[in-house]
Amino acid sequence: MRVALIGAGQIARQHLSCLKTLPGVQIAAVCDLSPAVAESTAERYEVPAFFTNHAAMLAEVKPEVVHVTTPPTSHFRLAMDALQAGAHVLVEKPATVTLAELEELVRFAGERHLALTEDYNYVFNHGTREIARWVDSGALGAVVHVEVMMALNLFGPGGFADPNAPHPALTLAGGALADFLPHLASLAHRFVGAHRRAHAIWTKRRPSILPYDEMHAVIEGARGTAALGFSSTAQPDAFWLRVFGERAQASTNLFETRLTVERLRDGPKPLQPLLNGLEEGKAVRRAAVGTLMRKFKPGPGAYDGMWHLVAGTHEALARGTRLPVPVEHVLEVNRMVEALKPVETAQ
Amino acid sequence: MRMLVTGANGFLGRRVVAALLAQGHTVRALVRPATPLEELGWPDSVEIVRADLRAARELAPAFEGVDVLIHLAAAVTGGDEAMFASTVSGTERLLSAMSGSGCQRMVLASSFAVYDWSATRGTLDEDSPLAAGAGLYARDGYAIAKAWQERVTRRFAAQHGWDLTVLRPGFIWGRDHGYLAACGQKIGPVHVVIGPFSHLPLTHVDNCADLFARAAVDPRAAGQTLNVVDGPGERIWGYLGSYLKGTGERGLRVPFPYTVAIGMVRLAFATLFKRNGKLPGLLIPCRFEARLKPLHYTNRRAQELLGWHPPFDHAECLRRTYDH
Repeated sequence: MRVALIGAGQIARQHLSCLKTLPGVQIAAVCDLSPAVAESTAERYEVPAFFTNHAAMLAEVKPEVVHVTTPPTSHFRLAMDALQAGAHVLVEKPATVTLAELEELVRFAGERHLALTEDYNYVFNHGTREIARWVDSGALGAVVHVEVMMALNLFGPGGFADPNAPHPALTLAGGALADFLPHLASLAHRFVGAHRRAHAIWTKRRPSILPYDEMHAVIEGARGTAALGFSSTAQPDAFWLRVFGERAQASTNLFETRLTVERLRDGPKPLQPLLNGLEEGKAVRRAAVGTLMRKFKPGPGAYDGMWHLVAGTHEALARGTRLPVPVEHVLEVNRMVEALKPVETAQ
Repeated sequence: MRMLVTGANGFLGRRVVAALLAQGHTVRALVRPATPLEELGWPDSVEIVRADLRAARELAPAFEGVDVLIHLAAAVTGGDEAMFASTVSGTERLLSAMSGSGCQRMVLASSFAVYDWSATRGTLDEDSPLAAGAGLYARDGYAIAKAWQERVTRRFAAQHGWDLTVLRPGFIWGRDHGYLAACGQKIGPVHVVIGPFSHLPLTHVDNCADLFARAAVDPRAAGQTLNVVDGPGERIWGYLGSYLKGTGERGLRVPFPYTVAIGMVRLAFATLFKRNGKLPGLLIPCRFEARLKPLHYTNRRAQELLGWHPPFDHAECLRRTYDH
């Protein structure tokens, strides 16, 4: 499989590191508007060709798969050009600026029988996969409700709120927070399905160039409800996923390796909090060490979900089987994202 | 002459602006849009251009009437990609704008970080090997960005026939910047001084700025690459002692032999850590060496070429750094 990548910025490094480990995958070319970024990326990852013009790359290299890892405002044009060149496309989140653009891409990909998928890396993190396994095995019982809450300081230098170099995501409806909505929505979608209703509250707690720095929402999904949140001010940084089932409640911090569960147990009821507490304590201690140790190990580290997704996507493309994130899920997640966007900015 | 200075409000930039003004030049300072300027105390004659090289689209007007570009701007914090985007892509934007202007002369602030410290023996000078290939990408984001910034700048200069001077400062120190990574590893109040008798490639910020201001106007500097150090350099033990005394900070210095430390780092890297490039810098041999390897340093080329001697001796630099 000949793969090309457009946009050799921060997240591209994870894509390339992962792609290099995949059997049957050849990274044929990288492209970036900056000649030095393109060339240094090619040198670093031993990619045979680099370009500053994506159209030239598509024409010359004829990749079978294109990873689009540029800032979101350019995704639509680049993904469309890659599809037109006959390549399957894996696009970084958020896939497009508007839902209409995504629908156009999906329609076009469908007509050409090409795959279009979006990076929902946290759906494939170890913690999420374990919880999904417990759900699928029935250990958690039927899912009632999901909480997805990201706390991430966006105010540091070089971050989204840097007044000197406004981040491209600031042009999205909802500003910088819109960059994170696909993460929240894809996790909710994994556990409660497509949304029927959504209500979001967007607020601002701190003076900055961000139009909003807080977003909290409730969702009614096909199989349960979800509460989604993003906070730029709650600290420390954490990404909590908590799934409430009829038999157990599982929670994981997706920025770390912490994964705990509290469940109904046989035996005397007064002992349940004790047993759950002991089990939780053990899991927290193990995760504390594991989170530190993975920094010392080669491999994906905190990006294990993305590596899993990229590997699964390429395997599915090679075999012609169902993608880890099929296009109908991309549409459903993005419809949820659309429903969460602040109305006044979206207009 | 009119000098365009990028990174003008940075640690080195402020002193370079002061040195240029003292020489009677007109200074045009490139500063980021949100940078407050009041505390810099610049005279009204300093022309201000507000731009961030990471985002600026239209930099051509900044070069109008400029005789020399002194390019000091570089990211010193942030992730690897952010530093690369800021330092290298920023330089690409800046020099693209310069290529459409009449400015034909520039001075680049490079760094000792561009050298291949692992391959260098004895004295590190301008002829020492540069980090390149896989060895470069094993280094930290700052070294990678500075190496590419120099590479990009040399290509632009060659393409457009510019007179380029590359100055590579060692460890720049001065007021509020006395503590250096080479001082060792700080654990609470304890400073583990690795290789206490190693020399430091020091250049006091006022000495360093003096050479930048001279190189910008001296035709003998055109086409040259010069290391910037004040001399053979103080030893780490004494330098850290002066820092502790000067700042009044309480700390205990504990010496640790360099050879033992680098031996342990190499062994752990090859076995325990399986050559993982994501480790903290001190656990990666080539980064450890770039920070702490005991080498000798000289400013002989700057002396021979430009007759440069650092205007301030070490005692005076200490006074400038620590006296209230």
